[in-house]
Amino acid sequence: MKNIFLADDDTDDRMFFEDALKKVTIPTHLTLANDGLELMSNLETVIEPPPPDVIFLDLNMPRKNGFQCLEEIRNTSKLKDIPIVIFSTTTNDDAVNKTYQHGANHYICKPPSFELLVKAIETVLTLEMWQKPQPPKEKFVLVIS
Amino acid sequence: MEEKEKRAGELIIANKELTFQNKEKEKRAAELIIANKELAFQNVEKEKRAAELVIANKELAFQNEEKEKRAAELIIANKELIFQNEEKEKRAAELIIANKELAFQNEEKEKRAAELIIANKELIFQNGEKEKRSAELIIANKELIFQNGEKEKRSAELIIANKELESFTYISSHDLQEPLRKIQTFSTRLIADESQNLSDKAKEYVLRMQDAANRMQSLITDLLAYSRTTTSERKFETTNLNTIIEAVVNDFKETIAANHATIEVAEICDARIIPFQFRQLMHNLIGNALKFSHPDRPPHIIIKSRNIKRSKTRDQKYLPEKEYCHITVTDNGLGFEPQYKDHIFEIFKRLHDQEKIAGTGIGLTIAKKIVENHNGIITATGELNKGSTFDIYIPST
Repeated sequence: MKNIFLADDDTDDRMFFEDALKKVTIPTHLTLANDGLELMSNLETVIEPPPPDVIFLDLNMPRKNGFQCLEEIRNTSKLKDIPIVIFSTTTNDDAVNKTYQHGANHYICKPPSFELLVKAIETVLTLEMWQKPQPPKEKFVLVIS
Repeated sequence: MEEKEKRAGELIIANKELTFQNKEKEKRAAELIIANKELAFQNVEKEKRAAELVIANKELAFQNEEKEKRAAELIIANKELIFQNEEKEKRAAELIIANKELAFQNEEKEKRAAELIIANKELIFQNGEKEKRSAELIIANKELIFQNGEKEKRSAELIIANKELESFTYISSHDLQEPLRKIQTFSTRLIADESQNLSDKAKEYVLRMQDAANRMQSLITDLLAYSRTTTSERKFETTNLNTIIEAVVNDFKETIAANHATIEVAEICDARIIPFQFRQLMHNLIGNALKFSHPDRPPHIIIKSRNIKRSKTRDQKYLPEKEYCHITVTDNGLGFEPQYKDHIFEIFKRLHDQEKIAGTGIGLTIAKKIVENHNGIITATGELNKGSTFDIYIPST
C-alpha cells in the first residue's frame, strides 16, 4: 500500500487524479490537500510513521504555492527525502528547471486525456517503488501532449 | 818787275787774310774744343738717359703685354656683354608682350570687378533671404526635436505594449488551455468509463466534441507560436543554411521514411539570419511539402539557395537592398490554383478540408512573418496537382 499525498487547488484535477489513481494497478492510499497550506499541515500531522511514499504537487496554488512547499519540505529534516512529483500545466523550460533546482524528483505535465494521466501516474509510481528516495538529481519530465 | 810787285803785294794781302783766317780758325777750334767737351759731357748724360730709357722701355713693353692681355680679356668680356645685351633685348621684347597681355587682363579684371559688385549685391540680398530661412529652420528643428521626443515616448510605450501583449498572449493562451484540457479529459472519460451508458449517437457527439476541442488546442498552440515570432528577440547570425536544413530534415525523418519521400538539398549558401526563427520557417515549409503530397506519387522536395543581385529577382518585386540570398523550396505535391497564391499566407486560411489534411492554417502565416522579420519577401507559385514552389528573398546584409 503506497501512501500518496496530493496538493492541487483545482477541483476537477483532484477528481481526475483520484479516479486515475484507482485505475493504477498498485494499491494506494490518497490524502488530498486543496492548497499548499493544507498540504503542509497534512504532512505535519502524519510526521509520525508512516511518512508519505510520494507527494504530488501542483505549482499554481493560492496561499502557498508549489515552489514554497518544495522549499519547505526539502528544508524539513523529517520530510526532505520524500520523492516529490510536480503535477502542473506549465511546459515552460525555465519553470521546469526551477522545480528541479528546488528539489523535485519528477515532473508530470497534466495531460489532456484520462488514459494518459493513468499511464503517467503508473509510470512514476513504478519508478518510485523500486527506488530508494533519491536526493533531487533526476532529469525526468513526462510531458504528454 | 811791276807784275812781281803786284803779285807780292797781293800775296801780302792774302797772307794777312790768311793769318786773319788762321786766327779765326784757332778761335773756332778753341770754341770747338769747348763745344766738344760739352758734347762729350752731354753724350755721357745721354747714355745715362738712354740706359734709363731702355729700362723704362722694358717696363713699358711689359706693361704693354699686360695691357694686351687686359685688352684680350676685355674683348671677350665685351662679346659676353654684347650677348647679354641681346638676351636682355629679347627679354625686353617679351616683357613688352607680357605687359600688353597684363594690360588686357587688367581690363578684364575691371570688368569682372564690376560684375562682382553686382553679384555681391545679389548675395547680400540672398543672405538676407537665407537668414530668414535659417530662422524658419530653427523653428522647424525645434518642432522636429519635439516630435522626436514624442516618437521616443511612443516607441517606449510600444515596447511596453508589446511586452504586455506578449505576456497577455502567453497568459491567455495558458488560461484558455486550462478549461480546454478539462473538456478533453472529461470527454475521454465519458468514452472510456460511460460508453455502456451512451447511445451510439451520444458517443458520436462526444467524439466530435473531442475533435473540436483538439482543434482548439492546435489553434491556441499555433497562435502562441505566431505571437512568439512577432515579439521575440531578433539576433542575426551569419549561418550556413545547410546545418539548419539538415536538422529540420532530420526532425522529419520518420515521416520521410514512411512516405518514401526524397529531399534534395542543392547549392546551399550562407546567410544572415535569426537561427531559431529560420529553423521554424524551414520546418513549416518542409512540413507542408510532406503534408500536402500528391496521393499518386512519393513526395520529392528540392531545396536550393544562392546569392543573387537585385536585377535577377523573379516577379519584378521591388527589393531595395543590393544582394539577396534566394532560397527555393519546391515540391511535387498537390499544388494550388494560382489565384490563391496570396490567400494561403493568411492566418487560419486553408485550401483543404480539415478532415482530409490536418492543420490550422497558421504555418505559412508564421513563415511569412519570419521572412518579414528578416526584411525579406516570400512568394508562392503553384499548379494544381503538379506542385508548388516557395521563393524566399532575404537581404545579405
